[in-house]
Amino acid sequence: MSRHKISFSVNGERYELEVEANQTLLRLLREDLGMTGTKCACERGDCGTCTVLLDGEPVKSCLVLAVEADGRGVTTIEGISKGGEITPLQRAFIEHGAVQCGFCTPAFIVAGEALLKRNPHPTEEEVKEAIGGILCRCTGYRQIIDAIMDASKKGEK
Amino acid sequence: MPLPKFDYLEPKTVQEAADLLAEHGEEARIFAGGTDLLVLMRERVIRPKYLIDIKGIEELCELSHDEEKGIKIGAAVTLNQLIESDVVRERFGALWNAANSIADPTLRNRATLVGNICNASPAADSAPALLIYDAEVEVASKRGERTIPVQEFFTGVKHTSLKRGEVVKAVRVPNPPRGARGDYLKWGRTRGEDLAVVGVAALAANSGKIVRVALSSVFKTPVRVFEVEKIFEKGGPTNERIDEAVSAVLNRISPISDVRGGKEYRMHMTEVLTRRALSKLLGVGGD
Ligand SMILES: Cc1cc2nc3c(=O)[nH]c(=O)nc-3n(C[C@H](O)[C@H](O)[C@H](O)COP(=O)(O)OP(=O)(O)OC[C@H]3O[C@@H](n4cnc5c(N)ncnc54)[C@H](O)[C@@H]3O)c2cc1C
Ligand code: FES
Ligand code: FES
Repeated sequence: MSRHKISFSVNGERYELEVEANQTLLRLLREDLGMTGTKCACERGDCGTCTVLLDGEPVKSCLVLAVEADGRGVTTIEGISKGGEITPLQRAFIEHGAVQCGFCTPAFIVAGEALLKRNPHPTEEEVKEAIGGILCRCTGYRQIIDAIMDASKKGEK
Repeated sequence: MPLPKFDYLEPKTVQEAADLLAEHGEEARIFAGGTDLLVLMRERVIRPKYLIDIKGIEELCELSHDEEKGIKIGAAVTLNQLIESDVVRERFGALWNAANSIADPTLRNRATLVGNICNASPAADSAPALLIYDAEVEVASKRGERTIPVQEFFTGVKHTSLKRGEVVKAVRVPNPPRGARGDYLKWGRTRGEDLAVVGVAALAANSGKIVRVALSSVFKTPVRVFEVEKIFEKGGPTNERIDEAVSAVLNRISPISDVRGGKEYRMHMTEVLTRRALSKLLGVGGD
């Protein structure tokens, strides 16, 4: 199997590593870099709990090869809050009780931040569409949608 | 479970990709978004020894529109790039709706249109739209290049008319007839992230004289029902022609029963969706 030298950044920090061809970005993050905030569940694109940003765009990292990250920037849940301060979206999740077991939360935060960056004032339909690829088995989604809508309104002020 | 072992290859030109395919034969697979490929590999349904990533080939990243020739969608163009195109949204409505119906926006950052047709699932959501727009598939291999009409592209469940060593460069979609309106209606168990129980693409132009219908998930391949076209060419009251068209569609398809729905349910929903799509496009009262 081929091995590849890659150079990429995770949450602004540069890494130079060698990866095997069959390594996924998800396993690289969790197993080699110890960033276990990104979750691993179905590994077949269904659940979305492995969502990270690749050059700012949400992708399901179980279906991205580690070697494909070469020369690119990855953002994970570990890189969302800055200087120990949680973001307005993270605060909204707490206020709305949008976290129960928490397994899906990193993915919703990462996807939610990407949505609000691209579209600071989404409609409820747009929020639902943007998070459509992530499953939550606990909340019934209502609180998650409310939290994202609320954070977008707070950004308005 | 980790992915099975393979070598990852990164050609920079179509020529290089074709050479690699020629060299490795059946042991190699083209890797675009990987949303079908990696899933099948993890489940050990297929075990290629070589993955040829075509996303680094600049020529294949092209998405363009030409007033004469229509649109060209390179093999590395993602579904989200297609959805962001104003021309596609305004002039190729059935294709735009179809792209929007595939999986979810996160997956569409990786999944490609060309990957969708090369995977050749009977449920491929982009296929009915490509069929009604008379799309063509541009193919290259070490032996040269050729163009395959999309009508001849799908040959069976997960089978295409691609020959060994061939890589798809792009899909070309000619401009639809003037004033044409198109739509794609997909019926699934959930609103997102599921394959269709049935999908219906329809196009209407020339005051209802030109009408085309193609379907996914109800035949061994995506299928265009040409009988519908004759029914509308000959004229007559719109409501009666819609009834005839629905019968023609039901005669042509032969759905299977699976986890997404029984054969009878598929027949019923095909009737509902075909009628709905045609009534809307032809501006008559539907259900
Ligand atoms: C969670 C989930 C939901 C999904 N939902 C839908 C859905 O709603 N509707 C739907 O239709 N599909 C769906 N799919 C299937 C899949 O996402 C689509 O078919 C997608 O468009 C495939 O594109 P890709 O670029 O990822 O293809 P890949 O996985 O990279 O390739 C697919 C196949 O085509 C071949 N191939 C790719 N490009 C070329 C080329 N240029 N030349 C020759 N061969 C090539 C590959 O070798 C492989 O065999 C879903 C998949 C997942 C995981
Ligand atoms: S682990 Fe990636 S989608 Fe489920
Ligand atoms: S909070 Fe438990 S899965 Fe979403």
